[in-house]
Amino acid sequence: MAVASGCALSLGTPYVPLYRLPGALRDADSTLAGIVVTELRLPRLVLALAAGACLGAAGLVLQEALRNPLAIPEMLGVSSGAAFGVAAPLVLAVSIPAAVQPLLAIGGAVLGGGLTLLAAGLGRSPSAVLLTGAAVAAALQAALLVLMVMADQLDLQLIYRYLLGSLSARTWDDVTGLWPWLLVAVPALVLCAPVLSVLRLGDEDAEALGVRARRARLAALAIAIVLIAPVTAVCGPVAWVGFLAPHLARRLNPGATAVGWLPWSAAWGAVVVAVADLPARLALAPVETPVGAWTALLGVPAGVTLLRSGRRRPTAPRGEAGSAAVSLEPPGRPRGTEPSPETPGHGHRQEPGGEPGWAAEAGEAR
Amino acid sequence: MNRRFGALVALVVVCACAELLAGRGLSPSVVADVLGGGGDATERHIVFQLRLPRLLVALGAGACLGVAGLVLQSALRNPLAGPEVTGVTPGAVLGAVTATGLGLAGWESPLAVVVAACVGGCAGAALLWLLAGRGRGDPEQTALHGVLVSAVLGGLTAMVLLVAPGELGSVVQWLVGTTEGRVWQHWHLLWPWALAWGAAAWLLAGPLTLLRCGDELAAAAGLATGRARSLALLCAVALTAGAVAAVGALGFVGLLVPHVAVAVFGADLRVSLPGSALVGAAVVCGSDAAAQLLSRLLAAALDFGRLTLPVGALTTCLGAALLMVVVRRAPSRTF
Repeated sequence: MAVASGCALSLGTPYVPLYRLPGALRDADSTLAGIVVTELRLPRLVLALAAGACLGAAGLVLQEALRNPLAIPEMLGVSSGAAFGVAAPLVLAVSIPAAVQPLLAIGGAVLGGGLTLLAAGLGRSPSAVLLTGAAVAAALQAALLVLMVMADQLDLQLIYRYLLGSLSARTWDDVTGLWPWLLVAVPALVLCAPVLSVLRLGDEDAEALGVRARRARLAALAIAIVLIAPVTAVCGPVAWVGFLAPHLARRLNPGATAVGWLPWSAAWGAVVVAVADLPARLALAPVETPVGAWTALLGVPAGVTLLRSGRRRPTAPRGEAGSAAVSLEPPGRPRGTEPSPETPGHGHRQEPGGEPGWAAEAGEAR
Repeated sequence: MNRRFGALVALVVVCACAELLAGRGLSPSVVADVLGGGGDATERHIVFQLRLPRLLVALGAGACLGVAGLVLQSALRNPLAGPEVTGVTPGAVLGAVTATGLGLAGWESPLAVVVAACVGGCAGAALLWLLAGRGRGDPEQTALHGVLVSAVLGGLTAMVLLVAPGELGSVVQWLVGTTEGRVWQHWHLLWPWALAWGAAAWLLAGPLTLLRCGDELAAAAGLATGRARSLALLCAVALTAGAVAAVGALGFVGLLVPHVAVAVFGADLRVSLPGSALVGAAVVCGSDAAAQLLSRLLAAALDFGRLTLPVGALTTCLGAALLMVVVRRAPSRTF
């Protein structure tokens, strides 16, 4: 992250060498380099880190709550919904204050995600949820494209760049717009994390531990939406970060539970967006490319590789017959370090006596 | 069976009439008058140079997509394999957009667009083939990987569009799929391509029916399964590429039309392949007529001067709704 931040601050035109960065930061208003760094690159970097962290954390929350390694904001219609909420007033030429924009995005995200979950049913199989989500996302995309066809050429360029997720020309105003939402979401996330690690045991076990599974899942989804929507409102749907970051976190730290993965996932999300922003700024300079296109291009192959290599390990001993059945289980699931889905009774029997803290925490969070 | 075909042909004709009559500018009675040989020059121009080619392009593209979807689903033995979810359509869009953006192809050399779309479609299918790896027998795995492939190809398309942003306005219509402003040139480009590959698909109908029964059975019946499957895939990709080059990426037509066709005509492809073509033509043509009517209604209701609803938006919404119903009504089956 430090390397990415250093690169983000120093590279570009004008090039500011690393050793001159502190000086540039100190006398911010006097030199050209200082102004460029503090007014242009620093807010952009902060925004990239914050957005990445939000998306990474939201991705993990979604995946854990739905117990589905492919539950990503993009595939659940959440991102498309939020983008729709932002783009609609732009095209229809309704002027709205900047403070309302995240609200609209949240409205759209709730619409998209809610539609998916209502149509698919909460307790359905993961692939049913995903396919329904793909259908909802496609419908919302179609609505967006209708809006784009209606728009004139200038608006069209703006919307198109926004839809791909772009960090260009973001200032401190955009960053400050993000803070209030983060203030709401982060404490909720901390409260919610222990419940998540219980939810992944399965609904019955979670109930037995005193977690109302449905309600906890709804709360987790609401938190994910609150995390995603403001980010989408500011920098557009930056694709596939919510897919890549949790998988990276799981792969590199397989022994932890959801509580342990959450900060790692957020950190990885921040790193991914910050790193992807570098080629977005520099690859085709002076033309800016949207960061979302880069995350999609680099993130999907990487994520799929992680998914497949993670899947192969647990299925290998069981042979071909079991591979289809477990292929949708979360990958990188550690063996022996936590109750595995094959032995739910194990965790069930031991928890109430062995680790009362968990259940108590869970009850508190409720 | 003949009665069902008759009903379907009647449906197509009804849709075609609706398509001719819908639209701004001319009232139905004027259209009837023009078709009877009357009307002044402008009216004749509108009907014969604008509406008729548009109708034919919609019919042809729908038929192409329907056949391509059925061939794909049979060859891969996967009920979820439409051209949209196997990366063929996004690949074809990428190819066409790249060719147009790099200046290799334009309206002067329309065949190049089709070939580029074909190459792109093949690339998309090959990418999915590589990515799916061992899980390619599993329908839902393939569908999920197809969505991922589509995301990658969409990102690439976006990059190309940003490098060559001049044509964004016209390309966006293409991304969603529209029959707006299609003229005789499009039709002259589409029909030989569609006819050739449609005939190829028809010749493959027997082997494909065997492939639907499973590889062992087909091999036991004396079929070279590998060769038949690759031929069928090539055929499906070419048909999709032709449709994409003509009207753009119409959502969900290739995924859902074959299911309707199989439900009506049964699983014998020698019968249901033409059936699928007819259903596809009816669906695209009918939704185009509905889209024109809807955009007129919306324009009147919202008091916009001009509003066009692309047909692709309508088919996508319809298809999404239908897909949701299917997923919801099949609780135990693994969709």
